Amino acid sequence: MKVNVKSWHAVAQWQWDTGNDQDDDPEGDVCGICRVAYEGCCPTCKVPGDDCPLIWGECSHVFHMHCLLKWISTSSSKQQCPMDRRTWVTAERKVGGSKT
Amino acid sequence: MATEALRSQVGKKWQDSFARLNHGEPGISGLMTFSQASAWVLLTDFVRPRDLNDPAPPNEYNMELVKYAFDLVSQCRRLPAMLEAYLDDVRQYFYLIKRDVDQYMEQYETSLDPEIISRLVYRLFKWFNAWLPISDLGQTIRAAYTLDFQTQLFAILPPSFVSGFKAYCASTLPPFDPDVTQRTLSGEIWDIFEILGLLDRYESVIASVGYEHIETYVLSTCTGKWEAAMLPELRNWMSHKIVPWMLMMYARGAATNDDAVAMLASVGSRFDFHMTKTLCDLRTREIFDIIIDFPESAPALEDLKECLQRVDQRAALVKSLRKANHKRLLHPGADTKLILSQYVATIKCMRIIDPPGVLLFKVADPIRRYLRDRPDTIRSIVANLVGDEDTGDSLVDDNEPPQPLHQIEIEDYSDPNWEPEPIDAGPNFRANKHTDVLGTLVSIYDSNDLFIKELQILLAQRLLAITDGNTEKVERERRNIEILKIRFGESALQVCEVMLKDMTDSKRIDGHVQSQMASIVHPTIISKHFWPMLGSDEIIMPGQFQTFQEQYAKEFSTFKPDKRLRWLPHLGAVHLELLLEDRTLEVDVPPLEAAFIELFSEKNVWSIDELMTRVGPISKGAALKALLTWVDKGVLKEEGDGSFKLLEVAETVKPVDPAPIVEEQKPTVFPAQQHQAEQMRVYWKFIEGMLTNLTALPLERIQAMLHFAPGYDQTIEQLSAFMDAARREKLVDVREGLWRLTTKA
Ligand SMILES: [Zn+2]
Ligand SMILES: [Zn+2]
Ligand SMILES: [Zn+2]
Repeated sequence: MKVNVKSWHAVAQWQWDTGNDQDDDPEGDVCGICRVAYEGCCPTCKVPGDDCPLIWGECSHVFHMHCLLKWISTSSSKQQCPMDRRTWVTAERKVGGSKT
Repeated sequence: MATEALRSQVGKKWQDSFARLNHGEPGISGLMTFSQASAWVLLTDFVRPRDLNDPAPPNEYNMELVKYAFDLVSQCRRLPAMLEAYLDDVRQYFYLIKRDVDQYMEQYETSLDPEIISRLVYRLFKWFNAWLPISDLGQTIRAAYTLDFQTQLFAILPPSFVSGFKAYCASTLPPFDPDVTQRTLSGEIWDIFEILGLLDRYESVIASVGYEHIETYVLSTCTGKWEAAMLPELRNWMSHKIVPWMLMMYARGAATNDDAVAMLASVGSRFDFHMTKTLCDLRTREIFDIIIDFPESAPALEDLKECLQRVDQRAALVKSLRKANHKRLLHPGADTKLILSQYVATIKCMRIIDPPGVLLFKVADPIRRYLRDRPDTIRSIVANLVGDEDTGDSLVDDNEPPQPLHQIEIEDYSDPNWEPEPIDAGPNFRANKHTDVLGTLVSIYDSNDLFIKELQILLAQRLLAITDGNTEKVERERRNIEILKIRFGESALQVCEVMLKDMTDSKRIDGHVQSQMASIVHPTIISKHFWPMLGSDEIIMPGQFQTFQEQYAKEFSTFKPDKRLRWLPHLGAVHLELLLEDRTLEVDVPPLEAAFIELFSEKNVWSIDELMTRVGPISKGAALKALLTWVDKGVLKEEGDGSFKLLEVAETVKPVDPAPIVEEQKPTVFPAQQHQAEQMRVYWKFIEGMLTNLTALPLERIQAMLHFAPGYDQTIEQLSAFMDAARREKLVDVREGLWRLTTKA
């Protein structure tokens, strides 16, 4: 017998490629600022994904971009990463970089 | 008794009186030859009741002499004694009349022909006139006679006369059957009735004839007829058929039209009330089925509304509907969908009958409590909200403008349209005039959250069922959600927004991916936290499926460099073509089925455990179900040892002839033990209808009502025999003298 797949209506979830393989750790992939999952959206947004993108720091921390920008704009932030208090430097994303 | 002693005593008194009167005046001496005693004798003889059946001609009297004798008696103030003696005679001779009456009644009792009653009445009138003192004797004596005659008459009329009289009255009513000509209405006999005092005595009988006639007419014309307003037609019938009868019965003495109107006012209003009440009772009994038939039955509801304004039966209506709901709707055998749609129909119907909503509130309460306890109620409501494609009918009208839920219900007393709550509103009554049908359904529960959750699950299922990328279908869901947003609020349905956006995005992404690298995979790519959990039986797609997934995921990440795909292989559907040795099959199957059959392309025989280790953590039940799909399609065959074998060559299956279903046609059971009963069959429908509508009736009432049936001529004994036979056939049953239909199990 030969099986020809004529068409396949499949279902998938999209995930941010955060560079950390934390697929199976539900606690791991939340934004450190708003505590909402990366694939959710920041408190000011209603739609996830491209409309509420992530931002990667040189320090390897990842946040919702909107969350980080809001944080950075406060004076108490001193332009530092909220997780490690190192001066925030946005990382250059390598296309398809850390995929397994 | 005018005994001889009395007569002589009277004679002596008479002489004394006469002497006193005369005072020795000689003027009347010429007449003195006519003695006082002779005057008495002549007069008593003259007024003595005579036997109509006596062939001998009545005595001739010199009327001048009679008149003179009367004056003489009168002047002697012996008139009271004279009258008493006369009335004594009437009583004494009344047996003559009784003999006649008995004869007529005997005839009537065998034939039950109301015409005999009419003849009897004419005969009685003849007796009455024959014995009536001439008017010269004065009104007092006539009045005393009339009263006495009536009293005697009532004493001798047998009980069967009442039913005969009733039957006669009934026979003067307009027949229902247009082929039966109505008895010509003659005012004369009614005058006779009146003179004989029958009208006064049997006033209630006459009224009951009218009432029963109206009842039977209403029941026979309106039962089960809900698609047209019946009240106008009934009123028309009343004014054309019943009013003429009433005129004859109650307004014979009217000189002018206005007089007649005035005389009929009270009885007319009672009859109209009875007609309205009969219809009201009927519709009250039918209310559950009327609601089922809504909106076709809307005219019946308008009728009921009008009736309720005249007849205060609101409480009875609530009771009847609650009882029917309890018996026919709120039980485990009823489908939730059915309960909901009947509830919605009830809402709409009760609003027609009673716009303020008091009746609805009272009827709805048990339904709502019952629905609240049903596990699938929310799902059913939500399925309906998003437009159930199975049934196509929606609980919520499209033309009903959607309204936000949970409006603040504070009474606004400054509102010029504010009205106090109806008086029969209970303490818990909340006028929900602002709430639409959906609002009413959702308010079964205390919170909207359950609905929103269920709505999301249902939307997810429906969106994922769109396998062909049909944007039309997605758009329809979007419109649905837009409407629901008005009801539940924008933020509550934000999640649904994202789901819909995922659908459009997926389509766009797939367009791009396919343009770069044609693939048979067309995925729906969902946003993880915005879709409800959709099953957790994750499976590993074997063979070529794995390759398809990897290729597609790679191309996706090329397009969206910061994202990757995580497959949910247990969801979706696969369109396959199986090339077998002797046949080619094209099928649409769920992923697990596809995974299994892919494995069968590796080798022909698999045990179920083997298969399960290849596709991952699934339950044995799920595996078996998927395998049986292929068995049903004739692709796999179950081997005895729990393994399955691919059928490269189809096995011919002998079609099994379904055993012919022999259903014995049971003859309709009718009591037909005798000829009379055979005849009664014709009237069985009539009886059945009667008992359906009036539940329980005494035999006499059934008999009376059957007289309205065209051509009915059975005696009550025959009816009784028939009903007994029907009871043995278990068609009816009798308790405490009341017959009722046996309730069918
Ligand atoms: Zn955040
Ligand atoms: Zn955002
Ligand atoms: Zn950091």
